[in-house]
Amino acid sequence: MSTTFNRERKVAGWILSAPLLILLAGLLIWPIYLGFQTSITHDVLSEFETYPVGFENYKSILSEPNFWSSIRFTLIFALTATIIELILGFALALLFDRYFPGKRILFSLMLVPIMIAPSLMAVMFRLILNENIGVIPGLLNKIGLSYSIFDQNNVFTSLIILDVIEFTAFTFLLSYSALQNMSQEIYEAAAIDGANKTQTLWRVTLPILKPALAIVFLLRILDSIRTFDSIYILTGGGPGTTTQTVGIYIYKTAFIYGDFGLAASAAIVLVLLLAPFMPSIIKQFNLGTGDSK
Amino acid sequence: MKKGWGTTFLATCVVFVFLIPLLGAFYTSVRTDEAIASGPFVWEFDSKFEHYKNALGAAGYDFPSFFRNSVVISLGTVLLTILVSFPASYAIVRLGFGGPWLLRLALALRITPAIFFVIPFYKLFTAYQLIDRPLALILANTFINMTLALLVFSGAIKEMPLEIEEAAAVDGASIWMTLRKIVFPLLGPAMAAVGVLTFLFSWSDYLFAVVLTSSEATPVTVGAANFVTSYGVRWGDISAAVCLSVLPPLVFATAAQKFLVKGLSSGAVKG
Repeated sequence: MSTTFNRERKVAGWILSAPLLILLAGLLIWPIYLGFQTSITHDVLSEFETYPVGFENYKSILSEPNFWSSIRFTLIFALTATIIELILGFALALLFDRYFPGKRILFSLMLVPIMIAPSLMAVMFRLILNENIGVIPGLLNKIGLSYSIFDQNNVFTSLIILDVIEFTAFTFLLSYSALQNMSQEIYEAAAIDGANKTQTLWRVTLPILKPALAIVFLLRILDSIRTFDSIYILTGGGPGTTTQTVGIYIYKTAFIYGDFGLAASAAIVLVLLLAPFMPSIIKQFNLGTGDSK
Repeated sequence: MKKGWGTTFLATCVVFVFLIPLLGAFYTSVRTDEAIASGPFVWEFDSKFEHYKNALGAAGYDFPSFFRNSVVISLGTVLLTILVSFPASYAIVRLGFGGPWLLRLALALRITPAIFFVIPFYKLFTAYQLIDRPLALILANTFINMTLALLVFSGAIKEMPLEIEEAAAVDGASIWMTLRKIVFPLLGPAMAAVGVLTFLFSWSDYLFAVVLTSSEATPVTVGAANFVTSYGVRWGDISAAVCLSVLPPLVFATAAQKFLVKGLSSGAVKG
């Protein structure tokens, strides 16, 4: 019986996984091949012919200052936004980690930004920041300040504020869930030992939540490295190329300047730069997937 | 002050700040064009909701078709994602299919920036003449959301007590029967979590939409952004279009908030 049973399980495994395997073959393996092939081809939209160039595109991209400056901007942006969002999200989770009137509705309202597409949020930002009709410049004007999104001094701050408004809900929600999982007894024990609120936070709560917060940090920074929509809509990467994320750089290289070969090699270099971190990130998520029988 | 009202006040202020963009867009959408043109603090409201009427077709914009596309793409992605990842998760967790490798692959894909797939997908869908068709975006979004769905489903299946399935097997139920009569009904909450998250993320997609569509299959995200550049001065109509675009995911995700929270914090992997 057990051999037919095992055979049935094996066959069932293949049948059940078939849709996934087909999808992976069509949308992962084949595209990776296409991407690599494009990266070793001279493939420029305005020129009719494409021809193989070996690793020329890679040589160009590695010596392209705009590519490296986009990587530098991406890292600075992602790190700044993530740190602010993590601290603010955790602080708000602490605020919500107690009873107060109207908590349920305010909690729901806190989650609203998660439900708004980043691109639509960026359009709204353009509205409220518009120099002629926007509420924010209007208010600043009243107190005698002038504001323009494209002012070199404001642009980074504006983009960070946009990201913080969009994604703090995410760090808030995950921190709140982590706080809810803390056992009440630990707090009671700390109180019995005479710890005050600040001591409990720094010496008890934070150390226990460190692994959970590390994952929130990782998730957020990985997501902000791929930021594209909001910055592209708000500034298009400008003024100049000062707010160009690596995503915007690759998109523009391919679809605005039409150099598919160069853009494809940039995308591959980007993944190769991330690759060394992947095993430890996967380990950090600590999925424990080894328990298959 | 009475118990907790101080916190309520503080939390209300915070919520207000986070909602300024949405409130600002709504505020503009219900004002008359004259009021909008004469500055942000002229209180004159449009009682006939002209901007909403315009956005919904009265002014001849393509917005209604963008809206339809977003609905088709999001619902199509939800269906295909569940169809692909639910059976595979069962095969991975309970039948040991592919060992731990398929889930690790899913995580590695989760870390890979989506921009990596943009050029290959563009080439692929051009070759198969799927550019500017909703199917291209359904496939691209399914690929992106599949990793999250696999993680949520396999997590939920692992939490199911093995005894029920074993008892069914002892009673002579085939794998198919067990799957249909026992596993499927028990996974309702996971299904809801995957459904609401996938809907949200595919409604929000901009990157693939901007690359893989040009006009026929354009969803609201790209449509609204183009709106700003093509009708730069019609702020009232733009605001109304944006407010309408945010509405479906807002209503859907608020109604399914319990599953949204569960999915985000258990899967903990946003697409």
